[in-house]
Amino acid sequence: MITSRRRTPYILILPLLLAFSIFMLYPLYKVVESSFYKASFLNPTFRVYVGLENFRWLFNFKVFDPRWSYFVAALSRSLLWVGGSVGIKVVLGIAVAILLNSQFLAGRRIYRTLVIIPWAIPWAMSSMMWAWTLNSQFGLVNSILLKLHIVDKPVTFLTTAKSAFLTTMVVDAWVGLPFMIIMFLSGLQSIPDDLYEAATVDGASDWTKFVRITLPLLKPVILTTSLLSLVWTFNSFDIIWVLTRGGPIRATETLPVAIYNVAFLLTRFGGIGKASAMTMAQVTLVTVISVFYIRTLRRGVEI
Amino acid sequence: MKMSTKRRLKGIIYQILAVAAMIFLLLPIYQMLITALRPSDLPWISPMPLIPEKVSFRNFVHAFQLVPRLPRYLLNSFLYGLGVSVISLCIAIPAGYALARFEFRLRRPLMVFIIYANMFAPIMLLIPIYVIMKRFGLINTYLSVILSGSIFTIPLSTWLVTSYMQTIPKDIEEASFIDGCSVYSAIYRIILPMISPAVIAVFIYAFITGWSQQFILALVLIKTDQLMPITQGLYQFFSRSSVRWNEMMAAILMSTAIPVVLFLSVQRYIVKGLTTGSLKG
Repeated sequence: MITSRRRTPYILILPLLLAFSIFMLYPLYKVVESSFYKASFLNPTFRVYVGLENFRWLFNFKVFDPRWSYFVAALSRSLLWVGGSVGIKVVLGIAVAILLNSQFLAGRRIYRTLVIIPWAIPWAMSSMMWAWTLNSQFGLVNSILLKLHIVDKPVTFLTTAKSAFLTTMVVDAWVGLPFMIIMFLSGLQSIPDDLYEAATVDGASDWTKFVRITLPLLKPVILTTSLLSLVWTFNSFDIIWVLTRGGPIRATETLPVAIYNVAFLLTRFGGIGKASAMTMAQVTLVTVISVFYIRTLRRGVEI
Repeated sequence: MKMSTKRRLKGIIYQILAVAAMIFLLLPIYQMLITALRPSDLPWISPMPLIPEKVSFRNFVHAFQLVPRLPRYLLNSFLYGLGVSVISLCIAIPAGYALARFEFRLRRPLMVFIIYANMFAPIMLLIPIYVIMKRFGLINTYLSVILSGSIFTIPLSTWLVTSYMQTIPKDIEEASFIDGCSVYSAIYRIILPMISPAVIAVFIYAFITGWSQQFILALVLIKTDQLMPITQGLYQFFSRSSVRWNEMMAAILMSTAIPVVLFLSVQRYIVKGLTTGSLKG
């Protein structure tokens, strides 16, 4: 019985191991390997070993901007965009979660269901809906801004560099917000009510309760959720692709968009090797954040 | 007395804030609704009225003329969703059982790797996936998108099954072992019915993901119109210079209704799985 059951778990996890090795570890190895070769998609089997050439290219190749290399520009754009988007998600996520957890709010159940809806819409579809909502002539955003006299002529959100950058960032935050709200909400619900009651008896203000009770007890959830969101946002491609394709004048060309461009579109200076070298940066960043994420999860188990 | 007016004031302020948050979260959905319901022969007014002057359902019929392959795209997305969820389940159920019930050397590293794998997105493996699919002649097939799409749903699926299994007592299956039942028939006959909520949740999670989030994979792996998922199919009409917005929004509304309804029906399980996953590790 025991000897036969020793092999059982390995038989049961065999499909998982196979799937991971064929479709995750082997491709990862291929990314590393092909970043040392020069090749193109026209004939991927024909390739030339170039050593560290592709990595040098990352920092030397300047094409659209004389100050930074193409890769460094995309990477820094990515970091700024991700930072902004995750920042919005965390701050608004906590705010809305506290609101929807408050006993003073009537109709909480309806709000909690409504909040989830954007989560279920495919990202590409959300982006198409947003493109129309942000339309300068017929979009609701402009109608509202005009009616409230916040602006006096329609805003074109996606045609100038700075506003396209901010707009795609906000749309991405919109897509990720429901997840954050739900996670924070379930974190808030696990905080015992008597802590707040005791604080009220002691005469603590709402702000004191927020800083002394809510934030410290919510911290583990905020930390893990933010790290998760950081990775997902860093990998975000669909939203930018549908809204701007990385434009105008490359203002929204984040690292994922740049990888796609170098691999599949800008074949004149791109190619598999260079795109793989860029992918290495993407994978490294995701791995670093994952290490932090797994460590915070582990710490949660010990306490 | 003073306390109760303060409470009432708070209630009003919170209500205003909640409505403001809902306006932000539901704005594009509302815009989609009013555009889809407004007859396309009405002249455009700028700024657009917040409530359509006339309501008609003709756009939903015309959407099929604007996008002639709409049923085909929907069918394709359904097949992608089905394929991804079947593969995810076939891998997640046995693996989840092993990870929840057995103590073996690979267990801890595998759990950690699953969390890491859950961080992966198509963009990170796009180039090798394309090369591999090309080498096996799978470019432009259903299989290419299903296989490469599954790998991104397998980690969370396995995680959800494992954490659900851990909440179920061992007694019943152990009794069946004493009766001479093998592990495999115990999984099939005893475990599967008991973990059916998790199975349904995983199925729908993987189905929705396979149904809706194949944009970049399809962009690279699918070249012909007949095999495109709904996201990519509609994107073709979106990226044209002049968009027929009324019919377009009607098409988007019809095709997002399915995942939204499915998702709302299982969101409790997914949220529970995600939160216990992040709280317990």
